[in-house]
Amino acid sequence: MSIYEKIGGEAAVDAAVDIFYRKVLADDRINEFFDTVDMESQHTKQKAFLTMAFGGPNSYTGKDMREAHKNMKLTEDHFNAVAENLVATLQDLNVGQEEIDAIIAVCLTVKDDVLNV
Amino acid sequence: MTAIVFEGEPITLDEGETVLDGLLRLGHSIPHGCRSGVCQSCLLSATEIDKVANAQTGLSEAQKQLNFFLGCQCLPTEAMTVARVDADVSRIKATVMEKTQLNDQVWRLRLTADLDYRPGQYVTLWRDENLARSYSLASTHEQPWLEFHIRHYPEGEFSSWLVESLSKDDTLELNGPLGQFFYTAQSEDPMLMIAMGTGLAPIWGIVNEALMKQHRGPIEVVVGAKQAKDFYYREELGALQAQFDNLQVHWLSLDSDSPETANLYDYCQSNFSQLSDHKVYLCGGTSFVKKLRRYAFMAGASMRDIYADTFIAFGGEPG
Repeated sequence: MSIYEKIGGEAAVDAAVDIFYRKVLADDRINEFFDTVDMESQHTKQKAFLTMAFGGPNSYTGKDMREAHKNMKLTEDHFNAVAENLVATLQDLNVGQEEIDAIIAVCLTVKDDVLNV
Repeated sequence: MTAIVFEGEPITLDEGETVLDGLLRLGHSIPHGCRSGVCQSCLLSATEIDKVANAQTGLSEAQKQLNFFLGCQCLPTEAMTVARVDADVSRIKATVMEKTQLNDQVWRLRLTADLDYRPGQYVTLWRDENLARSYSLASTHEQPWLEFHIRHYPEGEFSSWLVESLSKDDTLELNGPLGQFFYTAQSEDPMLMIAMGTGLAPIWGIVNEALMKQHRGPIEVVVGAKQAKDFYYREELGALQAQFDNLQVHWLSLDSDSPETANLYDYCQSNFSQLSDHKVYLCGGTSFVKKLRRYAFMAGASMRDIYADTFIAFGGEPG
């Protein structure tokens, strides 16, 4: 059973994405990157990202991640801020520490692509 | 193998082939992305809703009611008819029934035409082959006309033609309806609707439909304008408010004597600070909608419960 199924599949992603995106928008370390984007399409992308992080059905590739974050000059601090918001979201939803660790491990696999290094 | 019809063309899908894959294989240009039902790029519409229900996961209530589905998630087992969303560009004839000036800037146009629509959706009106503008539907099905609220821009070619030249019994063409801005709430849902200027048009249509469908949850309507003299339909909304206990209308103008009602954004933030479980409807210019969408989301409204309709500038030209 994947983490995705374990924590409740699509319903869990739906519950998580609003909370997660709200936290990101409220976080002064990273919210400037979201000022000019269309919220609705960004929300859909966040959902795709969370589905991937939870090990659900997706076809996200490192190339997509690299392309999407190109020229943004993101640093390790930005990446960590997003990860922190994700952890806090999962804690809000009472996801167990073991699952949280596994989800963050998935996120770390795309770190280099996100940072374009 | 399943045969489907795509925009009039019969198409045979291979065993286990999704609608999206079949269309792409035959060279149709269909936007697509994740192929996992997540990115929602490959949105299509179907004539028969029961055949696509299992390809609607994650779509908004409005999209479901319009029979939209995700092509990458749809494995038809029997014949069905599909099309790109908003693909209908065929135009119908409409006749001017009434044209009335509501205030300095706004005109009400009522047309008769045979159109099936949801109040709050929009249509594109055509003067001729070269000039068209989109306007929201303010009428409901109980009315034997289509109603539009049209702001006259003195520099605007379309609205000036409409105000100066168009008269009763003239005909023009329209196509539509388009858009997902209409009533989808459950009866008990609290609703917050915020309109700037003629953004009131679709909201007027939606409020009337909600009340006619016996919506029981509270409905807050906030109408903004630069100056109080730019308001219209005050009496009409007042009459509705007197008739329905669950409707509350707030009029906010920048020239208000009361600083409390002079800033729509601050007013909403302090009066409607908790929007979880609300259905939120926003209609106005681009920056207005953008700012209010963010406010509504941060105040707790779920993204899929925020409906927004933004005035579009046709090629950057005024209306």
